[in-house]
Amino acid sequence: MVPALQLANIRKSFDGVLALEGASFESQAGQVHALLGENGAGKSSLMNVAAGLYAPDAGSIKVGGLACSLSGPADARSHGIGMVHQHFKLVKPFSIAENVLLANRRPHFSSGIKDIRAAIRKQANELKFDIDPDRQVDALTVAEQQQVEIIKVLVGGVNILILDEPTAVLTDAEAEGLLEIVRRLARSGTAVVLVTHKLQEVKRYADVVTIMRGGKTVASLDPRSATTDQLTELTVGQTVPLPARTPHQGGPTRLNVGALRYARGDGRVMLNKTSFYVRAGEIYGIAGVSGNGQAELAEALIGAITPASGEIWVDTTGDISRAGDAKRREAAIAAIPADRYAFALAGSLSLADNFAVAHIRSGRYGGVALANRAAMRREASTAIKEYDVQGVRSVNQKASLLSGGNAQKLVIAREFSRHPNVVVAHSPSRGLDARACAAVHERLIAARERGAAIVLISEDLDEILSLSDRIGVMTKGVIVGEFDRPADRQAIGRAMVDHG
Amino acid sequence: MNSTGPPTARPSAVLWSIMDDVSSQPASPELTSPVKASRGLGRLTLDVRQDLSPWKQAVFVGGSLLVGLAISVAILAAAGIAPLTLASELAGVMTAESLRGVLVQAAPLILVGLGASLAFRIGFWNLGLEGQMIFGGIFASAISIDDIGPASVRLVLMGSAAAIGGALWVLLTLFLKIRFRVNEIIATLLLNYVAINFLFHLLYGAWQDAKTAFPQSTPFRPFERLTDIGHGVNSGLLVAIAGVLVAGWLMHLSRIGFYTRFVSANPRMAKIAGVPLQALTVWIIAASGACAGLAGFVNIASQEGRLTQSFANGYVFSGVLIAFLSRNDPIVVPVVGFLIAVLFITGQTLQVFYQIPFTMVQMIEAIIVMAVASSEFLIRHRIRWIR
Repeated sequence: MVPALQLANIRKSFDGVLALEGASFESQAGQVHALLGENGAGKSSLMNVAAGLYAPDAGSIKVGGLACSLSGPADARSHGIGMVHQHFKLVKPFSIAENVLLANRRPHFSSGIKDIRAAIRKQANELKFDIDPDRQVDALTVAEQQQVEIIKVLVGGVNILILDEPTAVLTDAEAEGLLEIVRRLARSGTAVVLVTHKLQEVKRYADVVTIMRGGKTVASLDPRSATTDQLTELTVGQTVPLPARTPHQGGPTRLNVGALRYARGDGRVMLNKTSFYVRAGEIYGIAGVSGNGQAELAEALIGAITPASGEIWVDTTGDISRAGDAKRREAAIAAIPADRYAFALAGSLSLADNFAVAHIRSGRYGGVALANRAAMRREASTAIKEYDVQGVRSVNQKASLLSGGNAQKLVIAREFSRHPNVVVAHSPSRGLDARACAAVHERLIAARERGAAIVLISEDLDEILSLSDRIGVMTKGVIVGEFDRPADRQAIGRAMVDHG
Repeated sequence: MNSTGPPTARPSAVLWSIMDDVSSQPASPELTSPVKASRGLGRLTLDVRQDLSPWKQAVFVGGSLLVGLAISVAILAAAGIAPLTLASELAGVMTAESLRGVLVQAAPLILVGLGASLAFRIGFWNLGLEGQMIFGGIFASAISIDDIGPASVRLVLMGSAAAIGGALWVLLTLFLKIRFRVNEIIATLLLNYVAINFLFHLLYGAWQDAKTAFPQSTPFRPFERLTDIGHGVNSGLLVAIAGVLVAGWLMHLSRIGFYTRFVSANPRMAKIAGVPLQALTVWIIAASGACAGLAGFVNIASQEGRLTQSFANGYVFSGVLIAFLSRNDPIVVPVVGFLIAVLFITGQTLQVFYQIPFTMVQMIEAIIVMAVASSEFLIRHRIRWIR
């Protein structure tokens, strides 16, 4: 049988960083095909290639056996490929019918909207969705918005439906309902691709599973014939020997996070009594599937969000969970956030400014009345050399012109030159090449040797395993298990997915 | 989504490369999608620019300004003022006598422009400059009416009171914003009406001039007026220049200015990096209101000589325009303020001799604001025609 969708040897890089290399994928009509992998394994990137959002650097795409190149989502749609993204693409103040019309244009609005309303009702009936086409998207729950997204794609008439992490935003009952519907769609002849990192879903609902790791597809098999351990091992990779280093000395507790609670604006609880402690000279790794509260934990620790309750206790200053600017600075927490441009750099300002902003209060660049720009530039260029930030023509250039790895090195240069007491690093090597990645890890180890308490939050299990003295596994905002070094990779992998 | 044009092989390589650029940048992803707007003739595409040299930016702003002026000249011509007449009137403004009037007019405009640019620098859209001017005027007049303090420092007291009045009035909107999340654009704009009705309440009530029974306060005493200091320069201009110097030093040289740039560039990051976000916001916004309050004081103490009903009319537009044209740079504000004063005085002349309503001046201001605002779009985007 000719595969409905066939991707062969796809390569895609962003700004020099390889996201996909040698990724191949085949899906048949009438089957639910799961695409399994850790975060950053390249699942979404590969499916974005299939949906026409990314143009691959190399490789071929065949739809129904015919080679084609997709110029964009509209073109993919005309080939019968539709994708429901993890982050919904809906215009909130518009009605459901208007949103569906926007994606499935008709020549005339007034006749078109009638046509669309009828099509929505028909699809909703078939899928047993309870949807009124005239309701405003604003008023819908997340699950209902997802139903709208699915209908939006189906109204256009697709035979290849890609769902990117569809259950990530749903409750367990909602997820089950959705997956049943997905299976029914497949039985009626659609090729369904289910992007997920949840083993249980794969085992229960998929006919075939393709596993990705590090931008490559590593295996395609029948999930019912494989054991959970086999799938886990394929997903997280083989155990690699850990580099030797000085054993942890067991210093005093430097950071204590107690019963931290935080709910997002939409009411979803992201941190639920999160508790752990970190000693001086210790790296505490937090592993977990992304979206389980890691981002919120990092933001609460660095002061970007204020937790609803709980404490963040630092030995020098006491509880800073709800502290003002001054006390936070006193606590000397170095922040290495995952999203550098959102939380660590002002892209439109110069490198010197971005470096100096954390130090100016110390009075190193003159008093309040006069900021000494020359001193800022001097110190910035010294630090840029010391921390090996590449691609710098002048310290006056905009920070946004640095590549990902070098931007990260600039952040680390700034944060570590404050001699931090506590370091919070979230995915510090994301998007970095091997050399830059090693440099970042070296800096973290050096801070550990100096006696700092380091919280390392990462979705990359290798990074966690090679650096951490102790590892906590975070699921649904809770630390569900702790492992001492040397930790068992398989056990951690199981803890990560079992609760998911 | 179905594209409006015929199915095409693929967008240009340039577009793709730019989309990739942007995806690695913090820029909003909505801006990356190509706008397609034609059938057969080729395609209009919008790319996000990464960077544009200051020179080219100046060319775009200058070009847009010329377009705005050309439209204004055309409208005036349609209203019966030939471009040549306009030119001779403008030249007339530059004579010594008129220039004195221009400089008197420039002082409050510069101050109100400073007020706008300070607030805009940290992304606070202060459209309540008129309300703050009014409260500045009311506070200053209260010092005069209640005869507070010795004559020798009376002007200083009035000026300080005006600054405090303007600052308090704008801080009210900041409080609303922080406490109740009221959008400051709406709050500042609508509180202008509250301010003006409170002014009417005073001028038709307790503060009405008993002698004339006009709705205005009794005239200020001679030592409560800002007078000429020689060469036709009013001391109000000194207040404005002092404001420019202080604001210029704060924004360009001090630590405050350094922090301010981070607040506008990336407030979340600024907070994490240790910028005292809250204190800075409060003080900059207070300074913005204080500048507007001072503008009110300078206006009534130099031009009107008493608190009147309409001394603040139209200043919010002018303030926004000046801040816009000077790109929120306090050092450029006096230059633009002077040009707007020329426009004001010319407008008054046209009003007297050609029966042109004064709203025409406001309309010209609005056209220029729109022209400059559109240039911003051209600075951020590249429009290309692809066949």
